Amino acid sequence: MTGNNVVLAVALLVWGLLFYYLLRLEGRIRKLEK
Amino acid sequence: MILRGILLLWIAAGIILAFTWAPLVPVLQETTRVLYFHIPSAWVTVLALGWSMVASVLYLYRRRLEYDDHAGTAAELGLLFCIGATVSGSLWAKAMWGSYWNWDPRETSIFFLLLVYVAYLALRGAIDEPRRRARLAAIYSVAAFVAVPFLMFVVPRLYDTLHPDPIINPRGKVDMDNRIRMVFTGMLLGFTGLFYWMLNLRVRVLRIERRREDQGRPMEVAGA
Amino acid sequence: MSASRSARAIWAILRKECRSEWRTRYGLNAALLFALTSLTAVSFAAGRLGDRSDLLAAFLWIVLLFASLASLSHTFVREVEGQTLPMLRRVASPTEIVAGKLLFNLLFLVVIELLTIPLFLLLMAAPAPQWGAFLGVLGLGSLALALASTLIGALIAQTRGRGALFAGVSFPLLLPVLAAAVNGTRAQWQNLPVASELRLLAAYGAALLAVSVLLVDHLWEE
Repeated sequence: MTGNNVVLAVALLVWGLLFYYLLRLEGRIRKLEK
Repeated sequence: MILRGILLLWIAAGIILAFTWAPLVPVLQETTRVLYFHIPSAWVTVLALGWSMVASVLYLYRRRLEYDDHAGTAAELGLLFCIGATVSGSLWAKAMWGSYWNWDPRETSIFFLLLVYVAYLALRGAIDEPRRRARLAAIYSVAAFVAVPFLMFVVPRLYDTLHPDPIINPRGKVDMDNRIRMVFTGMLLGFTGLFYWMLNLRVRVLRIERRREDQGRPMEVAGA
Repeated sequence: MSASRSARAIWAILRKECRSEWRTRYGLNAALLFALTSLTAVSFAAGRLGDRSDLLAAFLWIVLLFASLASLSHTFVREVEGQTLPMLRRVASPTEIVAGKLLFNLLFLVVIELLTIPLFLLLMAAPAPQWGAFLGVLGLGSLALALASTLIGALIAQTRGRGALFAGVSFPLLLPVLAAAVNGTRAQWQNLPVASELRLLAAYGAALLAVSVLLVDHLWEE
């Protein structure tokens, strides 16, 4: 479990969370646009 | 939908490759990885500023509030990415050269951009009426446009003479290896796509809010 | 609108500003207060800096900067608080209004400088300046300060914010002036050429002037 891999995992996690948040936001916006 | 999926995988791939496949730059060692986030952040900062300024000018010409939505949103996003670039740069400086802040020309430039963003957003925050806010913010945007070249290029150069930069900027060596260049370019594109998506989302929210206010039923989009 | 009519309008506005300012002297008091306070603080804390031309230059312009931030927005704030702007706008064009107030701000700065700079040079035991270069940097720097401050003052007067917002919003625009002016002032004390700083200040001032001229008609609408 090298330091490199830890940072990699954190980075992917952060990106995943951000993407998920944006995707949900987009879903809500689309509903409101209908 | 497909585009979102592509963006997800694109950036994820970039992150993975940045940590595994791309080689290290000899001078930078492990800190090489930072440049895949730090420089794209700085790039988006500048892109956002340009977008905001163009939108401001378009507003002054066409007077459609949508242009001001773009101007304000791009500035908010620009501030976020600017903070990201500044913080990542500072951490990188600490790892590389032992101190968080040196007023090195590039650090100074990004700090000035931060000031411009904060000032612009503060000005916007102090005006309630949408059309006046759009107009005055646009005027400031144009004024900032002439100040930025002086801030970014001239002022840092002035202080070169006072505080000669003893630190070798490794930037010249970085883009030589092909793999590095590929991941780097990939991340640049990825960050640009991310910026565009976030901008698009926020502008659509503002459009909805305005439509609802016109219809007499103001409502906030939760989480926006 | 003929040129002489405009010139007369600008002159009239300038005189009006002078009279308004002289009646209450709020701006003058604020500027002098800030200038003298910061000068006292610097002198008290740092003492005589005859051999440190870099610090001298920096402190000089910081004092001027503080004085400007405290007072140069008053020309517009006065109009807003007295609610005289609509009337002014009926008799003069935006260009004339801004030109008049710009000239006033410039004159105001000159007065402040006449009062503060000799005091500064004395208190800080500064070496004798090379008057040509020194006044050149001072003049072009003051012009750029006045240009930026007048434009931003016009913006801020239409917002909810006041002094603090004026300081924060004008700061990025004032930084290039500060940098070039400090450099130039330091250079003249070190017997170095100031040509490039003068060029920079002139270029920046011209750029600000161009922006103001282009956008002045958008300042007040509705």
